[in-house]
Amino acid sequence: MPSHAGTPAADPARITAGAPATAGAADPVREPLIEVRDLTRVYRRPRTSLTRPGEAVHALKGVSLTVHRGERFGIVGESGSGKSTLLRLICALDRPTSGSVAFAGREVAGLPERSLRFLRRSLQIVFQDPMSSLDPRMRVRDLVAEPLVALGEPVGGRVAELLDAVGLPASAAGRYPHQFSGGQRQRIAIARALAPRPEVLVADEPVSALDVSVRGQILNLLADLADELGLTLVFVSHDLAVVRHLCESVAVVHDGLIVESGPVDDVWEAPGHPYTRALLAAVPTLEGLL
Amino acid sequence: MLTVEGLSVRADDLELVREVSFGIGPGERVGLIGESGSGKSLTALALMGLLPDGVTASGTARLGGRDLVGVPERRLKDLRGRTVSMVFQEPMTALNPLMRVGAQVAEVMTLHGVAAGRARERAAELLGRVRLPDPERIARSYPHQLSGGQRQRVMLAIALANEPDLLICDEPTTALDVTVQKQMLELIAEVAPALLFITHDLAVVASLCERVLVMYGGRVVESGPLREVFKHPRHRYTEGLLAASRLAPRGTRLATIPGAVPAAGRFPGGCVFRDRCAHATETCATAPALTDPDLTGPEPRGDGHAFACWHPRR
Repeated sequence: MPSHAGTPAADPARITAGAPATAGAADPVREPLIEVRDLTRVYRRPRTSLTRPGEAVHALKGVSLTVHRGERFGIVGESGSGKSTLLRLICALDRPTSGSVAFAGREVAGLPERSLRFLRRSLQIVFQDPMSSLDPRMRVRDLVAEPLVALGEPVGGRVAELLDAVGLPASAAGRYPHQFSGGQRQRIAIARALAPRPEVLVADEPVSALDVSVRGQILNLLADLADELGLTLVFVSHDLAVVRHLCESVAVVHDGLIVESGPVDDVWEAPGHPYTRALLAAVPTLEGLL
Repeated sequence: MLTVEGLSVRADDLELVREVSFGIGPGERVGLIGESGSGKSLTALALMGLLPDGVTASGTARLGGRDLVGVPERRLKDLRGRTVSMVFQEPMTALNPLMRVGAQVAEVMTLHGVAAGRARERAAELLGRVRLPDPERIARSYPHQLSGGQRQRVMLAIALANEPDLLICDEPTTALDVTVQKQMLELIAEVAPALLFITHDLAVVASLCERVLVMYGGRVVESGPLREVFKHPRHRYTEGLLAASRLAPRGTRLATIPGAVPAAGRFPGGCVFRDRCAHATETCATAPALTDPDLTGPEPRGDGHAFACWHPRR
């Protein structure tokens, strides 16, 4: 594992990771990229009494998982399952109560923000609702360039390149988010996430707010980009069917624990945990109903 | 029971819903599907007399012999919440955060002339009927103390309080988890007197409804028995929606409908779908009427499967 402490700019291989050279399809032995070990997170509810502390909420109760380089990894769970907490910890947006999160062999849990530049460059996020994750007062050009500016990198022709990659016209650069449809806004969010050439794209329910006809467009785009750029994909969803379409591996999160994980087809065809079975039975499918 | 004929909704010069006609019989469950911006919610709001200022409805809608469209607010007040009621998508914004849940259920009854004491009793009964555990305790809770699924059950209890003839649900399960959604759908199927169910989720409609109306660009483009429409869609939009709803195996492309739903007023003239349709020709510049070919053919069968398309599938 190459060490690239503190000198992100002197690390061209890492920035363009994802380029075909490092992430070809022939990749027999995949190395672990994200390693989560025994992660717990306890929140305190606001106190309701002067004498006693607030109630403790165990959002994560000891979660371990490994995402390999180039893998498409799905995390499935319902609200309150702890999947959002897990995601925040993987992205180092929150600190765990105990346990570790390692990215490419480097511990990220509990690091101060100034030491996380390598992670901010290598791992980018697309959120569920592009209307609230894109600043309404910024033009698309500035939104897409912002991660580069934040990292102190030249923007150059990168914005046009990125807009083209996500299927938006170059003329989109001068417009504002509200001038686009939901699907187009999600394309902007994806272009922005890809700006610093990350290795990992984390997508938190990126298609749940979209209409079904547009959902396919975005899922196709994510699959294409993951192939072309050799991205590692961490895809969070409440819908196991969507995860099955896009991902190879899945972890089912329930009540702060991973109750089941493995190749998504195995989990789909032979769910081992009662909760996974309940989840599968609850999702109405056209095939099953007609 | 509900008969809607030529219902149109306008805002100034924009025609947002155009000439929508359908009926719902007693006990019937009808789904209204389409993407956001297709006019489904406006159709429902027009039936409830809840259109925003500056948006007006024309045409007729009659429920059990009473007009719902074009009548003064004071008459509508009498009907709304009694003859026809509605469950909205987001229960947190639809419930009063400062009022106990039981009082909110009772309020809709006292507004329609039920005595306060009797309304309170019935509120607890109703909360039990929508299968909330410990209804007495729930009645004393505030909305923020309940989960999303519980709040939506409270909304349903409010909607059912005066035994309406028709229940309208607008995406009532979209904000809920799938396991909670399943319970909610089963409950709605059980308690709804007659149902107009609005959703963008085809699988949800298929699990609940007997008949379906497909809307796009403010028009009904296809309608008929659900199985018939979903198994043998004729309109190209319905075909596209169904194809896009099926998740192909990993590594294969998903079917999509090119482009996006245009903003209101930006739909093309003629067939509203023609700018996104692979089969469109010059003929489509003329608007096709919603017709059931079985009725005009030599042997009318009349299962009620109608569509508005010049180049239907098959």
